[in-house]
Amino acid sequence: MKRKFASLFAGFVMLAAMVFALSAGITPAKAETTYQIGTDVTFPPFEFANKHDKYVGIDIELLKAIAKDQGFKVNIKPTSFNGAVQAVQSGQLDGMIAGMSITKEREATFDFSKPYFTSGVVMAVTPNSKTTSLKDLRGKKVAVKTGTSGADYAKSIQKKYGFHIVTFDESNDMYQDVITGNSAACFEDSPVMRYAVRQGTKLKIVTKPVENGPYGFAVKKGHNQKLLRMFNKGLADMKANGEYARITRKYLGAKGSSDTSSDRTFWGLIKQNRSALLGGFEETVWLTIVAIFFATVFGVIVGLLGVVPNKFFNGLSTTLIYIFRGLPLLVLALFIYTGIPSLTNQKIPAFVAGTITLMFNEGAYIAAFVKGGINAVNIGQMEAARSLGLPFGKAMRRVILPQGIRIMIPSFINQFIITLKDTSILSIIGILELTQTGKIIIARNLEGFKVWTIIAVIYLVVITLLTWLSNWVQRRVRL
Amino acid sequence: MTAKVKVTNLVKTFGNNEVLKGINLEVQNNEVVVVIGPSGSGKSTLLRTLNKLEAPTSGDIIIDGMNIADPKTDINKVRENIGMVFQHFNLFNNLSVSENIMLAPVELKKEDKQAAAEHAKRLLKTVGLESKFDATVQSLSGGQQQRVAIARALAMDPDVMLFDEPTSALDPEMVGDVLAVMKNLAKQGMTMIVVTHEMGFAKEVADRVVFVDDGNIQEQGTPDEMFNHPKNPRLQDFLDKVLNV
Ligand SMILES: Nc1ncnc2c1ncn2[C@@H]1O[C@H](COP(=O)(O)OP(=O)(O)OP(=O)(O)O)[C@@H](O)[C@H]1O
Ligand SMILES: [Mg+2]
Repeated sequence: MKRKFASLFAGFVMLAAMVFALSAGITPAKAETTYQIGTDVTFPPFEFANKHDKYVGIDIELLKAIAKDQGFKVNIKPTSFNGAVQAVQSGQLDGMIAGMSITKEREATFDFSKPYFTSGVVMAVTPNSKTTSLKDLRGKKVAVKTGTSGADYAKSIQKKYGFHIVTFDESNDMYQDVITGNSAACFEDSPVMRYAVRQGTKLKIVTKPVENGPYGFAVKKGHNQKLLRMFNKGLADMKANGEYARITRKYLGAKGSSDTSSDRTFWGLIKQNRSALLGGFEETVWLTIVAIFFATVFGVIVGLLGVVPNKFFNGLSTTLIYIFRGLPLLVLALFIYTGIPSLTNQKIPAFVAGTITLMFNEGAYIAAFVKGGINAVNIGQMEAARSLGLPFGKAMRRVILPQGIRIMIPSFINQFIITLKDTSILSIIGILELTQTGKIIIARNLEGFKVWTIIAVIYLVVITLLTWLSNWVQRRVRL
Repeated sequence: MTAKVKVTNLVKTFGNNEVLKGINLEVQNNEVVVVIGPSGSGKSTLLRTLNKLEAPTSGDIIIDGMNIADPKTDINKVRENIGMVFQHFNLFNNLSVSENIMLAPVELKKEDKQAAAEHAKRLLKTVGLESKFDATVQSLSGGQQQRVAIARALAMDPDVMLFDEPTSALDPEMVGDVLAVMKNLAKQGMTMIVVTHEMGFAKEVADRVVFVDDGNIQEQGTPDEMFNHPKNPRLQDFLDKVLNV
């Protein structure tokens, strides 16, 4: 019997090894000249996906021009501002360009390039708002986006003008909070705000830009100094040869690049974003399938460890379930994506990190109901089987599991649906699944309500299909 | 002749609760021993330690010369020779009647499928249920289930059978069929240890009756000695209660 446990345990270890091997295998060998650069997904006109799903904006074009000038390659990873900050700090990314203001605080952990853009913070309100100056803000709420200089500015004058700050992760959510009247005003960099207004966001700018820290390209303090030097040299070249002026004019000029012309009906939005939505849909489905597979293997093994007659394995099972069920999915995802690389010095692709996250989290829930399902089988069944001389493993396989699985099937279907929904949380580490795709589209066209409606419908369709499939399998299996 | 079953100084505790307090018991080949005693006295616990469904706390249990209290003994091998019948039948709900009976012989490679099926048919006939070969467990009455359970226990050709109140979960009209099967087994010379409240069965079939109370064997003897001339006041008290209802 001992050997059975040993092989069960070996299987578990092998699974873990496999996942790590997979992660190591997918990690691209760091080519000499290709740098991984993080950026925000939703900061037009500095970075955003255009209607052909290509990343454009001042930061992106400038960085690409500099790279070409200096002879290196960049691979641009749109995560989120905060996600990029953490990924650079953990070594997952080599640098970031994301409309990032150079501040004393950030200089403690980042090395910045020479400033490449000087911006200023403005205040925006609804068109017929009575709030027209900072003085009118007393006692009211002000919306800001995390990590922006607008947020820093709001904090610096909060005491003086006596308002409350509400923080958002996405620009569109911040604008919506003002439009719906929850907040009286928002603060944002002037070019960003102007872009939003041009896109049809129902806000108006009521203050003059207040100068704040200029934008810089950032690397982790003490790392990638060569990249930083090349950026500075390239920037000087761009300013000298007029390319810099061309790029900024393209996005900031009176007619600057915008997307207002296109059809803003539901159908129009679907047509314009068809390939992006399809890509996000595929990623979500793929992530769900891979995650369900690994979570089921992990969950069944851990669940079985919880019922074998061995105190050590029972304890191990309980502990694993306790830890991974206890951690919020978001925390686990960030921990695995940014925490593990800083410990091991090994980059993990977001997809692998996401799969591992779901494997542990959903797997813990599966383990709990596998254990519960087995324990729900009357103890007399096991006793009768053992009294005939059947060893534990045979009794489990022939008598207990077939009955337990029947009890577990509804829980499995439920967990698969939850897994599908939970993939959306992985947008935090920049996986381009459906939710992240939605954020990116909204960052460009600021049609939050319509795009989220489309995304919600797609999720419901997939969930319906998954439920049908599960029910079909359930009828087929008929254990 | 050495005893088939030899229990020496058997103690079993659950936490602080000492349920068996040093039991000594010998059962000879072909002997039918009926165990009686009040509820909670430890009858089931005694029976369940005999095939190690409960591990003994101390003492020795020797069956066919093998000490099952010894951790080195392969308990699965010993169990193949000890059939057990439970109060609540415990038929495998996911298997049909015949599969219930054939499972152990086939899984443990005692018989191939064909032979096991033939054997199952014969066993079902001896318990009067040959027509139920392909039936599901759920379609059987309690009495039928218990008879299938007996057939299942016999499928491994055990040389000792343990019965733990095999009729107490049955409707009265079903009890007779099950007892008849057990009487038949006894007649064929099966070594049996039976926990039961069926005093009629004890009087008629038992070679020896054992009275357990408070974790000890208080008195034992032939049915005549036990039922007609009980010495121990506890036994007299117990018989008063069960016989005069
Ligand atoms: N698994 C267990 N854990 C803890 N205590 C137990 C366990 N099994 C039995 N006991 C206790 O041991 C004592 C004897 O129980 P046992 O089932 O052997 O009695 P019994 O003589 O078979 O009674 P009945 O006639 O009601 O079946 C009881 O006090 C019971 O609560
Ligand atoms: Mg009992």
